[in-house]
Amino acid sequence: MATPILALQDVHTYYGNIHALKGISLTVNAGEIVTLIGSNGAGKSTTLRTISGIINPRQGQISFNDTRIDRMPAHEIVRLGVLQSPEGRRIFPRLTVLENLEMGAFTRNDAVTMKEDLERVYTLFPRLRERISQKGGTLSGGEQQMLAIGRALMGRPTLLLLDEPSMGLAPVLVEQIFQIIQDINKQGTTILLVEQNALMALAVAHRGYVLQTGQIVLSDTAQALQTNETVQKAYLGVE
Amino acid sequence: MNTRIRSSLIGGLFGFAIALISGGFAGILAGLVAGLINGFSVPQAEPLNNRAGAVRQGLVASLIASVLTILGIVIRSVLIDPVIGTPLNITSLLISIIGALILGIPVCVIMCVIRTEPPARERIGLAIVIGIVLVTYPWLDQFLNLRFMNEVIPVLVFILMALGLNIVVGYAGLLDLGYAAFFAIGAYAAGMVSSPHFGISWSFWLAIWVAAAVAALFGLILGSPTLPLRGDYLAIVTLGFGEIVPIAIKNLDKVTINIWNYPLLVDFDFTGGTKGINPINRPWLPVIGEFSPSTPIPWYFLILGIMLISIFFISRLRNSRLGRAWTALREDELAAGAMGINTVNVKLLAFAIGATVSGLAGAFYGSYISAIFPESFRFDVSVMLLCMVILGGLGNMSGVILGGIIIQFADRLFLPQFSTVVQKLIVASGNESLREVNFASDFRLLLFGLTLVLMMILRPQGLVPSGRAARVMPPVKVEVPHD
Repeated sequence: MATPILALQDVHTYYGNIHALKGISLTVNAGEIVTLIGSNGAGKSTTLRTISGIINPRQGQISFNDTRIDRMPAHEIVRLGVLQSPEGRRIFPRLTVLENLEMGAFTRNDAVTMKEDLERVYTLFPRLRERISQKGGTLSGGEQQMLAIGRALMGRPTLLLLDEPSMGLAPVLVEQIFQIIQDINKQGTTILLVEQNALMALAVAHRGYVLQTGQIVLSDTAQALQTNETVQKAYLGVE
Repeated sequence: MNTRIRSSLIGGLFGFAIALISGGFAGILAGLVAGLINGFSVPQAEPLNNRAGAVRQGLVASLIASVLTILGIVIRSVLIDPVIGTPLNITSLLISIIGALILGIPVCVIMCVIRTEPPARERIGLAIVIGIVLVTYPWLDQFLNLRFMNEVIPVLVFILMALGLNIVVGYAGLLDLGYAAFFAIGAYAAGMVSSPHFGISWSFWLAIWVAAAVAALFGLILGSPTLPLRGDYLAIVTLGFGEIVPIAIKNLDKVTINIWNYPLLVDFDFTGGTKGINPINRPWLPVIGEFSPSTPIPWYFLILGIMLISIFFISRLRNSRLGRAWTALREDELAAGAMGINTVNVKLLAFAIGATVSGLAGAFYGSYISAIFPESFRFDVSVMLLCMVILGGLGNMSGVILGGIIIQFADRLFLPQFSTVVQKLIVASGNESLREVNFASDFRLLLFGLTLVLMMILRPQGLVPSGRAARVMPPVKVEVPHD
């Protein structure tokens, strides 16, 4: 029954001579939240960057809805409906919240649906509505994260790539953000979530992959991973 | 109250300086300039649409400005002119003072009234005032016997180029230190097809499009190798390009190409070397006939027209998808890519469109001077253009125009005039040792450098910051819930 919309097959990515991804294979099915967990330097962000076309893999295949995307430039992949909220948020600091969100809808050209999407983002993140004409750079960390996710949603993603949405946020905010991630998923957006906070990530995800030094070492349902002994020891802090 | 005094002081100081430095009937122009600047910067009278209040505001604001301007006129006529050899003429002094008041005060009052109109009407009103000043200026110049026109035209050429550079640096955030190269390329492209040099003698109206197209092409050629570069690295490459172009032009006068011992070209004179290309055809229009170097008015309106058309297109571009893509690129290239913006095309388009504007300016300039030489497009042209953009405000067209007006008029009119006056004073005082100092040429670059340094320290966003940067906090008060 599960139809994969994203499939990576034996993907190898290099930074110069550094072999960062050593044959990653994974699938994301329509309607799922899939999480990639792993420690620093495991290759989580690199995987996302490879999917979104910021770097091209040297070997392997990536297909999205049966279209090969591993040699496509980043902006064309966005047009297919794969949007990302990049690591470190990367909002436009000198543009207002509204202008940031409008940038997210860059690939689309109709004012009507853009209004609908703005409304949707403001409903998900009421805080952004209050900050509408404030400059992105003056927002708090949590608000910037909301803006980064909201901006990606403005592009009407079929697949949303989230890179470390919990980074640098207070625990209360982290919970709030993860709640919203689930809401977005329930509205029909498939999500690939990269997280260091494995506890939270596994709590909201359907399935998970564990990355270690550029390779996938474990993959299972999120529930099974939560109770897996190695995962508990290495990533969940359970002795 | 404070801002009113400040705006009046700024307007007055400009009037004072112009009247003091230029002398003669320039005092009347000084009054006009003081009134305009004052009217622009004076705070809006509250509430909106309060005409009587606005008139009062304008009159009060005019007070200090008028006093300063008159002071300038009086000091010049009474204290300086007699020393440097022009006897005091009470009649012309009085005419200057009255003229300055007649032009200055009403302009300031009218501007104040316009400023209290609702925004849409305010903009139309300001456009009309500026339009009237621009259209009538040539006759005012003639009437007052100022002879500024021959400087005003190159000033407009440079402002046009600054607007083009603003696309590259201000909108797309790509620091270009070799922008004068496109000016040279445009001028040479137009010159080659519109002069006896190759025996191709096209009309100016055709040559200017050739210039724009060739400049755009070179914009792409420069743009493509710089695509992966950012910031300092990009600046160095463009700097190199700006140096290479004039040198290449200088040396392309004896081109010999041999292919397998078969001489394709022998001593082919491509660019005219140091001799340049001379003469270049002038524009021709019915009624006016061929534009003549001795009557600047048609030239003035031609460059004004080119400028207005460019401003129209640039502002349309600014608000288009491409304009938004430039903004995103300037703010964060990686994030721009993540939004689905084709950063490669967007960068190349910034270079090409910026170069096109400069190409138009080059074609006009070559035709106006009627000759072009590689020496006219040196590095200091690029630096001066960058100064104009930074002084006015990166990414803001009206700021860039203002910066251009200030720097160009200072460079072409007031510094030389100032230097002449000072030298005459030195000669009159009998101090021989300072006789050789030429303030205009000796201190020119120092002043540009100083302007840049001071601006970076005091007002890095420029005199008129770009709308995006200036936009303030939300007008509605919002309750901030506690976390």
